[in-house]
Amino acid sequence: MMLEIRNLHASVDGREILKGLDLSVRAGEVHAIMGPNGAGKSTLAYVLAGREGYEVTAGSVTFDGTDLLSMAPHERAAAGLFLGHQYPVEIPGVSNLLFLRTAINAQRKERGEPEISGADFMKRVRTEAAALGLDMEMLKRGVNVGFSGGEKKRNEAFQLAMLEPRLAILDESDSGLDIDALKVVAGGINRFMGPERAVLLITHYQRLLDHVRPTHVHVLMDGRIVESGGPELALRLESEGYERHAA
Amino acid sequence: MRPELPTRRDEAWRWADLRHAEAFLETPAPANDALPETDHLWLDLAGPRQLFVAGQPVGAAAQAPTPDRTLPRHPLADLAAARATAGATLEIPAGADAGLVQLLHVGRGGAAHGITRVILGAGARLTLVESFADEGQDHWLNHRLDAELGPGAELVRVSRTLSGHGLVSDRAAVRMREASRFVHLTLGLGAASLRAEVEVLLEGAGAHAEVDGILLADGAAVLDALTRLDHRVPDTSSRQRWRLVAGGTAQASIAGGVAVARHAQKTDAEQSLKALLLRRTAAVNLKPELEIFADDVACAHGCTVGELDRAALFYLGTRGVPPAEAEALLTLAFVADALAGLPEGALQDALDAEARAWLARHAGGRA
Amino acid sequence: MSLPETLREEVRNPEAAAAVEALSTYRWGFTSDVEQEFAPKGLSEETVRFISAKKGEPEWMLEWRLRAFRLWQQMEPPQWAKLSIPPIDYQDAYYYAAPKTKPALKSLDELDPEIRRTYEKLGIPLEEQKVLAGVEGARRVAVDAVFDSVSVATTFREELKKVGVIFLSISEAIREHPELVRRHLGSVVPVRDNYFACLNSAVFSDGTFVLVPKGVRCPMELSTYFRINAENTGQFERTLIVAEEGSYVSYLEGCTAPMRDENQLHAAVVELIAETDAEIKYSTVQNWYPGDREGKGGIYNFVTKRALCRGARSKVSWTQVETGSAITWKYPSCVLMGEESVGEFYSVAVTNNFQQADTGTKMIHLGARTRSRIISKGISAGRSNNSYRGLVRIGPSATGARNFTQCDSLLLGDRCGAHTIPYIEVRNPSAQVEHEATTSKISEDQKFYAMSRGLPEEEAVALIVNGFCREVLQTLPMEFAVEAQKLLGISLEGSVG
Repeated sequence: MMLEIRNLHASVDGREILKGLDLSVRAGEVHAIMGPNGAGKSTLAYVLAGREGYEVTAGSVTFDGTDLLSMAPHERAAAGLFLGHQYPVEIPGVSNLLFLRTAINAQRKERGEPEISGADFMKRVRTEAAALGLDMEMLKRGVNVGFSGGEKKRNEAFQLAMLEPRLAILDESDSGLDIDALKVVAGGINRFMGPERAVLLITHYQRLLDHVRPTHVHVLMDGRIVESGGPELALRLESEGYERHAA
Repeated sequence: MRPELPTRRDEAWRWADLRHAEAFLETPAPANDALPETDHLWLDLAGPRQLFVAGQPVGAAAQAPTPDRTLPRHPLADLAAARATAGATLEIPAGADAGLVQLLHVGRGGAAHGITRVILGAGARLTLVESFADEGQDHWLNHRLDAELGPGAELVRVSRTLSGHGLVSDRAAVRMREASRFVHLTLGLGAASLRAEVEVLLEGAGAHAEVDGILLADGAAVLDALTRLDHRVPDTSSRQRWRLVAGGTAQASIAGGVAVARHAQKTDAEQSLKALLLRRTAAVNLKPELEIFADDVACAHGCTVGELDRAALFYLGTRGVPPAEAEALLTLAFVADALAGLPEGALQDALDAEARAWLARHAGGRA
Repeated sequence: MSLPETLREEVRNPEAAAAVEALSTYRWGFTSDVEQEFAPKGLSEETVRFISAKKGEPEWMLEWRLRAFRLWQQMEPPQWAKLSIPPIDYQDAYYYAAPKTKPALKSLDELDPEIRRTYEKLGIPLEEQKVLAGVEGARRVAVDAVFDSVSVATTFREELKKVGVIFLSISEAIREHPELVRRHLGSVVPVRDNYFACLNSAVFSDGTFVLVPKGVRCPMELSTYFRINAENTGQFERTLIVAEEGSYVSYLEGCTAPMRDENQLHAAVVELIAETDAEIKYSTVQNWYPGDREGKGGIYNFVTKRALCRGARSKVSWTQVETGSAITWKYPSCVLMGEESVGEFYSVAVTNNFQQADTGTKMIHLGARTRSRIISKGISAGRSNNSYRGLVRIGPSATGARNFTQCDSLLLGDRCGAHTIPYIEVRNPSAQVEHEATTSKISEDQKFYAMSRGLPEEEAVALIVNGFCREVLQTLPMEFAVEAQKLLGISLEGSVG
């Protein structure tokens, strides 16, 4: 099992948001977590990535059998977990390229691997940037500084490709995208997927799932998974909404 | 008669540390022919160099230039004019590009006064790096730069203080004619006391000044900067960017001033002053001042003091960057902002590397 | 700066001044003829003893005053403000003037008709006139009217008494609650705090004392009208407001003064104390005589206002609309001692003709997670000078403190000055301080737009200026906000075209 979440309870500012969540993800699977606003979707993403202020009050999470919750955010990243942020921050003064190279080398160091060479790094940057339609000039600017909403999401997909994690948790990767950008981001996710990897797609809408086909679909309501199924569940939710779960 | 030094009761000297000026006021640096080790003090850049030890030129005769008596009076600059016995005169004829010149001033016990005079003809260009250091003893280096920029001339000056003891006081006073351009960077890296002043008189339409600074204070350093961008005629502009970092029991201060004279319409002046505090025992002070007597102007300033952005730290964490490294990266980005006014290239890179090295050495858990 | 020279010249040229005085547009410049009782002219220990005796003060109060007077004699007036203050002859003024009518009237009818007419001319809002007259169903605002130096009418005292709120003139409070006054007086603004506060401590004539007991939300807004009336009488008001744990009070201070030829000194001291969870809202509309169009006459307004947020989560808001006075020197401040205490300063300062204002605030953060907010709008017109001067200090113990400052200046015309002098001193690495400042003029586009909709130029300007100040004006209680908006228009008269 790659990711095993058992009875997860988490609070923000003393208010319980996750109330006993269970989820198992194997390599090769694409899970979609769907649910209405306020169900706890982003909280789940932040708890898994280790954001401060998101307090786990009960339950456990293991990643490849090790306790994820005891690790710092950067250790989780080095272990192969990637969070695609819903609202990527702007970091003026730190170029995208410097940022990415620092991140890659920090992860390699944590894993006891040698640093990436400048030539290899730039070669991969060019390949992946081209695939996602990102301009090299943009990458020389500060992280996300002056990027549109769509460009920020593309940049997240670009980092996903460059960092080569094993589990990608993508929080509303489709929000703020027009249809062309959506296809580009979906293409990035599909290229990333493989038998050794897994994806956790957190989304309010079905439309990303037209382009990234999930193996499992879960409905998250009020801090718990209330229904699980295959891709057909997503289609049903699209037509029926979440009312039936609300009762 | 012993001259009067300013005190902290004077508004403009509120955050200054003039103890060494008081102590060495009537104690000139001792005569000594031994040369200090200076290899590590120069920036590794091509161009002419001149060393001054305790105010005296090494290997050359250099008479003290005549100061520009029309510049505003100033207690320390007046003292430098009265007491300097040597100095550098850089007069660049119209249209010439003098490239980069480095002057290194090394203090040695006692007080030493220096004066540099720069006169740029129309369209002339010069990059001047003046560095201040010492030999490991308390001292007082008191320096003034008088500069005149002819029409369309361009002067880049870096005032770089590496001194670990005593006090360096450096005041640049610059007159600018039409369409001239002046870029000034104060780089305070020393562990001692620094009083850095830049006063710019924008007297020709189209004149543009960028007055930036990086004050990195650790130990018990007291780094204090003061600027006054005096917009005297219509259609001039200025930018000021200062970044301060203070650790240990150090204090870093910047009083950034913009003055717009009556009728100096269409002045465009901006100030951005930012500070980071590394410890509770350290202190930062900011004073962004505007004095405006014309109505059709765009004058704004922004100041922040605070911690590094927590959201950015988390973002870096989710990409695998450990906290200490993330902090160092963000601190460097914070500081590097102030280098943006310098032309891109070797000089900017060299100063960026110095700031980076300082942060690696001093920023405690942050590097 | 040529301005102060001109100002002095005008003062020295009485003939010219008299000529323009006739043309003065100050609406509320008039003199009422109430018989006055004066202290001997000049300032000495005798004057201090006279004032204290006149008010029947206890021995400790006299000693407090005498100590202040002796300290004051050794002090120097502050020089750091961007103000040009003509030399003040402290011996050439009266320090005490009381209407001969007996104080502590029970109803408005008992008030000297001349004083009542004065209030009417002042344009005290009709609603408050009704309140003063005791009209059935009138909105409840308690007015402690200070006519020159002695409080002559205090309304609603009984009703406030029911909930335990003490609202007295400070002289009464010294007599009736000496222990309370003694404990708090000078605890926020020490006697030797500054030259003018020290002078006030020696010779303060009257003022207001408010105590809101634990848990009480003061059932009405408390309001005081200050007036300066007698010729050559300095006004030295003293205000002390204590909000005990969990209480709330909103205090309104409004001032207008009749016109005078000679400059009059006003040096008030206001002290506020907020205990745990208490909140004090202090609003001022200051419209004293600013001098005439040539810079002759006008009030010197040298005021020390300070709040101590002593308890956790206590909160003090200062709102001021300053349109009057020839010279203003005033920095309502907050000492944020209690954890999570909050200080706010909202200010509109308008200067026209030859007025000078150097005003702002100090936010001293001592407690953890204390917060402050400063919004300052300065408007300069004519040949005036308007400075914002502010200090934000974050002490080493103020972990997690926050400050936000926005400081905007508007210049009307090219003969005035607008200055911004903020000091930011930070000693705690977790503090977040943000300061922004802008300087602008009224855009011709905005003005043209308003005029093309039928507004005359002055009204268009007043409208835009009101918009510029909106953020501050909306923090005022309703009845003050309306008055303040009108005042902005009036004080900018003659500044355009």
